[in-house]
Amino acid sequence: MSTRILEILISSLPKLLLYCVKVTIPLTVCIYAISLVLALILALVQVLNIRGLKQFVRFYVWLFRGTPLIVQMYIIFFGLPSLGITLSAFPSAVIAFSLNYAAYMSETIRASIESVPKGQVEAGYMIGLNYFQIMTRIVLPQAAKVAFPTLFGSLIGLTKDSSLAASITVVEMFKVAQQIASANFEPFALYCEVAFVYLMLNTILSALQSYLEKKMTWKTKN
Amino acid sequence: MLEVKNLHCSYGTNKVLKGIDFRVDQGEVIAVLGSSGSGKTTLLRCISFLESADSGTIRFGDFEKDITKVKRSEIRALRMKIGYVFQNFNLFRNMTVRQNVLEGLVTARKMDKKEANAIADEMLGKVGMLHRADYYPEQLSGGQQQRVAIARSIAFRPDVILFDEPTSALDPELTREVLNTIAKLASEGVTMVVVTHEMSFARNVANRVIFMENGVVVEDAPAKEFFENPKEEATRRFLRTVIEEAAVKPGQTPETESSK
Ligand SMILES: Nc1ncnc2c1ncn2[C@@H]1O[C@H](COP(=O)(O)OP(=O)(O)OP(=O)(O)O)[C@@H](O)[C@H]1O
Ligand SMILES: [Mg+2]
Repeated sequence: MSTRILEILISSLPKLLLYCVKVTIPLTVCIYAISLVLALILALVQVLNIRGLKQFVRFYVWLFRGTPLIVQMYIIFFGLPSLGITLSAFPSAVIAFSLNYAAYMSETIRASIESVPKGQVEAGYMIGLNYFQIMTRIVLPQAAKVAFPTLFGSLIGLTKDSSLAASITVVEMFKVAQQIASANFEPFALYCEVAFVYLMLNTILSALQSYLEKKMTWKTKN
Repeated sequence: MLEVKNLHCSYGTNKVLKGIDFRVDQGEVIAVLGSSGSGKTTLLRCISFLESADSGTIRFGDFEKDITKVKRSEIRALRMKIGYVFQNFNLFRNMTVRQNVLEGLVTARKMDKKEANAIADEMLGKVGMLHRADYYPEQLSGGQQQRVAIARSIAFRPDVILFDEPTSALDPELTREVLNTIAKLASEGVTMVVVTHEMSFARNVANRVIFMENGVVVEDAPAKEFFENPKEEATRRFLRTVIEEAAVKPGQTPETESSK
């Protein structure tokens, strides 16, 4: 490797890391928090079988899972202004991603709730619990354990997908890599470098996932 | 104390209970016998409102009503007084043994934690599971899980406990330990209804035996009379097959009718 490329890699790393911490991570956290809450609501509407609303949720999931995320982002960022709604890039990305991820994650949560055996609910009723108590104390904790690996997978997917926000001018880590690459005419080096940063970020997240999963077992250590 | 009259229940178009009259008095131990599919589980589930009946009346103490018109709040009040032990235990998987027993006391009945803990210890001691109080259900054998499930049900001192084949998921060794636990409760005067295939249990522990076939009660008699002098032909036939089955040694397959 030529020293020039090495210098470019070393000098660009702090900037990439800075945008990782300053934009990519906040963007990811923002989207994840919003879509998790939204997904839980969407899942509960279906599980509780709230009439009218349930059909709306099925429609919503159908719509947002059936169209590409990047198209959804374009509609919100480039399309809405023609209807008189102008949003800047970062909130546009947050909205599009959240709506899209919520659709997927709501399905994960719904399936995990439905995976809790009916006998658990019946046992809850027979010791005198009401529906709310059964949900909060028995069903949701058990569903959370089932959903956790998949939901965590969504988080890992999101850190990578957040790079798509570059396409609607959000200056996050990948966009910065693009800028440096085109300034230095070294796309190969720069894109490999940014890939490496994503990889490290997700290595940390995977380790966190294993750690949390170990803590979530229903076994006493002895 | 607990009584249902003319109880009908169906799954879709499949009529399962066809006019059941059933009554339990204070302190009674009732064994419910009957071949597979005769509706025993459905009977217990209707009484507990886990299944909604088509028609019939239910009486519980002073409370008496058309079983299809019982309100949600009344159902909850009734369930507060009924214990239910499931065939497959249904312990809450996300809670320890102690939490399983505490849940009905602390969360459902808002009992003081300290008082509830004392009761949980007492009940777990009674079923011989106190030494496993901090284990989770999946770390226990089936027999141990069922004894915890029994502790969970007796903890809130229900007026009656319904057992649905509490030992059919267990091997003979574990069956014995669970049946001993139930017999011990019976000797303490706990009112219970036990759906079972264990004839010796029905014979030695129950006061009264109910025999069901095809969704109706065929015979309802004191245990001694039921086994020694059954009135109905169907009961005799049932008892004969049961005795024949018991005579077949374990591991040996019974000859089929057609091979004769
Ligand atoms: N959830 C259900 N949906 C549809 N049909 C059912 C359901 N549960 C039971 N049945 C039917 O109702 C009838 C009575 O079933 P039930 O479980 O009450 O019998 P049982 O006497 O408890 O039998 P076993 O000794 O095998 O437990 C059976 O014909 C069964 O197929
Ligand atoms: Mg049954």
